[in-house]
Amino acid sequence: MQDPKDTFLWRNRVALAGGVLLLLAAHMLSSGVRQGDTLARPQGLVSEALRPFQAASSRMGHSAGDLFHHYFMLASVARENQHLKEEVGQLNQRQARMVELELENHRLAELLDLKEAIDLKVVAADVIASDATGIARTMVLSQGSGSGLLPGMGVIATGGVVGKLISSSPTASRLMLLNDHNCAIDAFVQRSRSRGIVSGVADDGVIMKYVERTEDIKVGDPVVTSGLDGVFPRGLLIGSVFAIERKGPGLFLNISIKPAADLRKLEQVLVIVQTPPHLADSGAS
Amino acid sequence: MLFAVATVVALWLQTEVRLWLPAGALFPDLVLILAVDLGLKQHNALAPVLAFAMGYATDALSGTHLGLNAFMMTLIFLLSYELSRHVWVTGRIIGPLTVGFADLLRALGVIAIGGGIATVSHLKGPALRLVIIQALITAAVSPAVFLLLDAGKRALRLPLRVAAE
Repeated sequence: MQDPKDTFLWRNRVALAGGVLLLLAAHMLSSGVRQGDTLARPQGLVSEALRPFQAASSRMGHSAGDLFHHYFMLASVARENQHLKEEVGQLNQRQARMVELELENHRLAELLDLKEAIDLKVVAADVIASDATGIARTMVLSQGSGSGLLPGMGVIATGGVVGKLISSSPTASRLMLLNDHNCAIDAFVQRSRSRGIVSGVADDGVIMKYVERTEDIKVGDPVVTSGLDGVFPRGLLIGSVFAIERKGPGLFLNISIKPAADLRKLEQVLVIVQTPPHLADSGAS
Repeated sequence: MLFAVATVVALWLQTEVRLWLPAGALFPDLVLILAVDLGLKQHNALAPVLAFAMGYATDALSGTHLGLNAFMMTLIFLLSYELSRHVWVTGRIIGPLTVGFADLLRALGVIAIGGGIATVSHLKGPALRLVIIQALITAAVSPAVFLLLDAGKRALRLPLRVAAE
């Protein structure tokens, strides 16, 4: 009788298991598994498991950075007087903490102003982690479906629009930034009312697509949300026209946009949890 | 268990440290190094499942397409596994080399699958340079991660390598 370990299946079990899993991953990719699907459920568990560590470490992050910085600044003082160094270190720590609190207060005050200005129901959230690979432009927020955050909702910061939510678990959610190549926001150029889609590109930039070559666009023109995508209300600032390329063939202009919000320094954001009234009305009718 | 804990720590570092670093700073892909270690040294049926799970966990914290990182990590595991079956992989240089190429493959694969093949062909100077530097950084860090993993295996009295019977 043939030894079971001498069969083709047993000899190639690692490669075969890998092949089956590769097919499963390809199936997940091609079928576009969505939030709430069976295959997507464990994903929420991963976010939930890491969330407490991410929230704690993001709070400690700035303090740790200050500590590191101050250590080097005070190295020469330490050689002269150990006691003085500790005292100065403590004072600097306290001062850095106060400056940090002041900056946070300022940011929160700006967010509050913005919240009142847009007059829609919003939820404030902290950015607690960045994208795990750095290739995609996503971030993890400190609020989730427990606070009413759902995939597809628009996210803004003090500068302007920053992106959309792509997934949410009870206590955390993921934000796809404006400069991710999968992001698309319906927008128009404020001065000429030329409509297009604002999207990210692979090399970290932001462009406005599908604007006809005949349109009147100038560098510096503000680009705002059109309110037609059902996510953002009309007129929220996205950025300004940074460069326009009219060379080459094609029906459309190549427009580069400079985002109004600093996407690399986001700390607090507002998630729009209420459908803009004009869209809610049109949906009802 | 060792790889599960290592994956959680790696993901936590990748998502948190990148947030603290100055804008645009690169950080090694530690999970990818774990997948290459699995492929080069752990030749049992559980290893591809672990590689898939690592990619799936990465999907929870990266990108917009569920299954993209799971696909790439399983593919990288299989390539590393096949490499270790046909090439003498005990030398110290083969690990970092494999990691470097795997990182390049993953980055281009993620961009191509996520944004379409045309996106890769449109990758210009600065973006391409970043992808290459990222691969070099990951490769440079990999010997230390391999050493840490080996130390963990020794501490848990696990074999450093599991050969297929």
